Amino acid sequence: MTNTHKSGLSRRSFLASTGAFGAASMAFPNMAISQDGTILTIRSYSDLQILDPAFRLSLPEDDIIRAIFPPLIEPVSGDVWEWKTVAAASIEQLDDLTIAFTLKDDMGFTDGYGEVTADDVKFSIERMADPANESPYAGDWAALKEVEVKDRLSGLIHLTNKFVPLWTTTLPTPASCILSRRAVDEIGGRIETVPVAQSGQYLLHEWVPKQRTILKRNPDWKHEPGGFDEIHIIPIEDPATAERGFEAGDLDYTWTSVSSLPRLKENPPAGSVVLEKPSLAYVWLGLNQDNEALKDIRIRRAIQHAIDRQTVVDAAYFGAAAVGNGIIAPGLPGSRDSVTYDYDPDKARALLAEAGAEGLSVTLDILNQSERLTAAQVIQANLADVGIACEIKQNDSGTFWSLGSKDGDYFMDLQLVLSRFSMQPDPSWATVWFTPEQVGVWNWERFDNAEYKELHDKGLVESDPARRDEMYKRMQALMDESGCYVFLTHEVVGAIHKDTIEPGLKPNGESLLSDFRPA
Amino acid sequence: MLNYAVKRLGLSVAIVSLAMFLLFCMIYLVPGDPASVALGPRATEAMKEAMRVRMGLDQPVWVQFWNFFTGAWTGDLGEEVLSGRPVLDVVLEQLPYTLVLIAGGISWSVALGIPLGCWAAINRGSFADRLVGILSVAVIAVPSFVVAIYALLIFAVTLQWLPAIGAGEPGDVGDQLVHLILPSLAVGLGWVGYIARMVRASMLEVLEASHIRTARAFGLPERLITYRYALTIAILPTITLLGIGIGQMLSSAVFAEIVFARPGVGKLVYDAILTRNFPLVTGAVLVTTVIFVLLNLIADLIVGALDPRVRSSF
Repeated sequence: MTNTHKSGLSRRSFLASTGAFGAASMAFPNMAISQDGTILTIRSYSDLQILDPAFRLSLPEDDIIRAIFPPLIEPVSGDVWEWKTVAAASIEQLDDLTIAFTLKDDMGFTDGYGEVTADDVKFSIERMADPANESPYAGDWAALKEVEVKDRLSGLIHLTNKFVPLWTTTLPTPASCILSRRAVDEIGGRIETVPVAQSGQYLLHEWVPKQRTILKRNPDWKHEPGGFDEIHIIPIEDPATAERGFEAGDLDYTWTSVSSLPRLKENPPAGSVVLEKPSLAYVWLGLNQDNEALKDIRIRRAIQHAIDRQTVVDAAYFGAAAVGNGIIAPGLPGSRDSVTYDYDPDKARALLAEAGAEGLSVTLDILNQSERLTAAQVIQANLADVGIACEIKQNDSGTFWSLGSKDGDYFMDLQLVLSRFSMQPDPSWATVWFTPEQVGVWNWERFDNAEYKELHDKGLVESDPARRDEMYKRMQALMDESGCYVFLTHEVVGAIHKDTIEPGLKPNGESLLSDFRPA
Repeated sequence: MLNYAVKRLGLSVAIVSLAMFLLFCMIYLVPGDPASVALGPRATEAMKEAMRVRMGLDQPVWVQFWNFFTGAWTGDLGEEVLSGRPVLDVVLEQLPYTLVLIAGGISWSVALGIPLGCWAAINRGSFADRLVGILSVAVIAVPSFVVAIYALLIFAVTLQWLPAIGAGEPGDVGDQLVHLILPSLAVGLGWVGYIARMVRASMLEVLEASHIRTARAFGLPERLITYRYALTIAILPTITLLGIGIGQMLSSAVFAEIVFARPGVGKLVYDAILTRNFPLVTGAVLVTTVIFVLLNLIADLIVGALDPRVRSSF
């Protein structure tokens, strides 16, 4: 993590401190309060739509859900992927198929639903895993056999098979958040936007749609308290709007766009700290191997050699992001230092000539975002350099995310596509989207490799880090060999906060609301 | 007058019906699978299918339209697909923010445009008249989103006089007004120019009218002639213009709501289109269309009531 810090007296604090402008500070009470450390005002990129851990839709909802329905464990704020207990007093793996947990004492639900018990843990986990409930997160508990209640506060999680990602991408997420069995049954089995029986460090106090969500510290939480009396979460989709809101003093913390990072690092607003964190996302140029024009692997390999990945990434991310060499981010098993193809326009021209594909024309579909467009324009120039004409097609998000779906009518016409996925801190979360089952779902390159699938399945039960590293590297080499992928970058996450607060962030920059503290 | 009002009302109903039909056609033609977009990568095929059924997308398109059409006339706009809340509730929650924003925009345009127009007319041919003319064209030419961004950068980011984001503390009218200043300026500034030019032209015409000349001959004070006898007549075309202008202000409100991170129907529709949340798109657009048509109807009825020539020509 790199910090850029600039101290100084802001105009706002100067105004607030002078009597002559007392009226001005009275006009903006929220700004004055946010500097005394009792209220934290942060931006989320979307408004909440559902508060049920089993049906959550976005990362900002994860944040709120974890704060009001405590998970057994959650990630530790910092630069290393580790976890800490939240609702669990202790939790340990007894053997490959058994995890024992004991809850903290004195945790209670609001609204008169009594104490948090092991039976509530059983209910919360089993309802998510139950296929009848159609939770999109059922896969997180795919290895679950049952949760056995031992006594009031302790129990055993029994698995049907070993599942290594359980400790990295299931338990430390809202998949282990605890709901009240009685409360959820009473409301018909599903929580919408009004939470019942909250029990976390914070309680959801108010939700004004499209305007703000207010969390207040839970007065009955007997353990490590949240850092602020209140957290105000403002939904702002556009990062540039959020940056201006921060610069105007309306926010204490926000993610920034990557393109703003160089400017903010060079000239940070007074009293602010600029952060740069490695991302778990991966960006790549995909080639649809079933498209008529790209069926010949020599053409796909030619395109791999034609792309100057360094220039593409430098241009699109203003030098803030490094070139990536696969789908698995640095720091995780399987992360690679290089790809098996290099930038070699002569070799690309030779391969195209060998395939008889001189004068080839292709289309490149992208999401209509500035970084993607810049990257696409460099790719277009690279392809033109080897004799391939490339037409860039910009799509809004609703159109883009359906392009390769077999339910649509475009998936076979799709040729080149610039994509970005994000992942959880386990390599299996990156490789899962490129298996044969995902062809026409999220595997738009229609990459179909049996060895890859076999390695993916083995990776889920292999606990030796060295062997996992080897397996996941081999899977990415298979992707290279298919000619379907040009790996570009893992991006970078930018954030900015006032120096009066210490943000709680996972190693990839995602926020942990409960870990935000006054500085 | 009753005959005129009935005819005008019938026309409004026809306009709303046609708008609903066109809106539905546009939505049907938009590419992208709403279920996939709404549910994200983890959703299974079964979940997507269930979502399509919930959105009514499994029905033939004419059935979808008929359900939407008949539901709309009875006030049932369906359910928001993700949260399951009634669409009408979601829209009505956001509507006041947009209406207040447009009212703020109209306030700016009326408060500045009418005096400027009068001033220019009274000082016809002077430097002041030419200056108002140039300024009017200038503010008309600058798009509202440009005004929004620069107003925000100058008054919120650089000077830090006004807040940059949000709609203010719920229940705190003073705070909400402070949060309204910049977004409403962005929405209304262009209309200052339109209204100034319209008022100037109308005033010049009215100031030449015989009853004004008579008033002058009787020695009435010029201020009284201008503001009591001339302006009350010259303002009529401006009312019609504002009725039409509300539609444009609604589209400007989308930009203002995004730039200033304000809640509102514009941003609601924008987000709903991106996520292919079709029931919300149709419901929100329908509500704003009805409001737009109603406001135009009111403007026309006012003008019709004040000017018999309008009634007889319809």
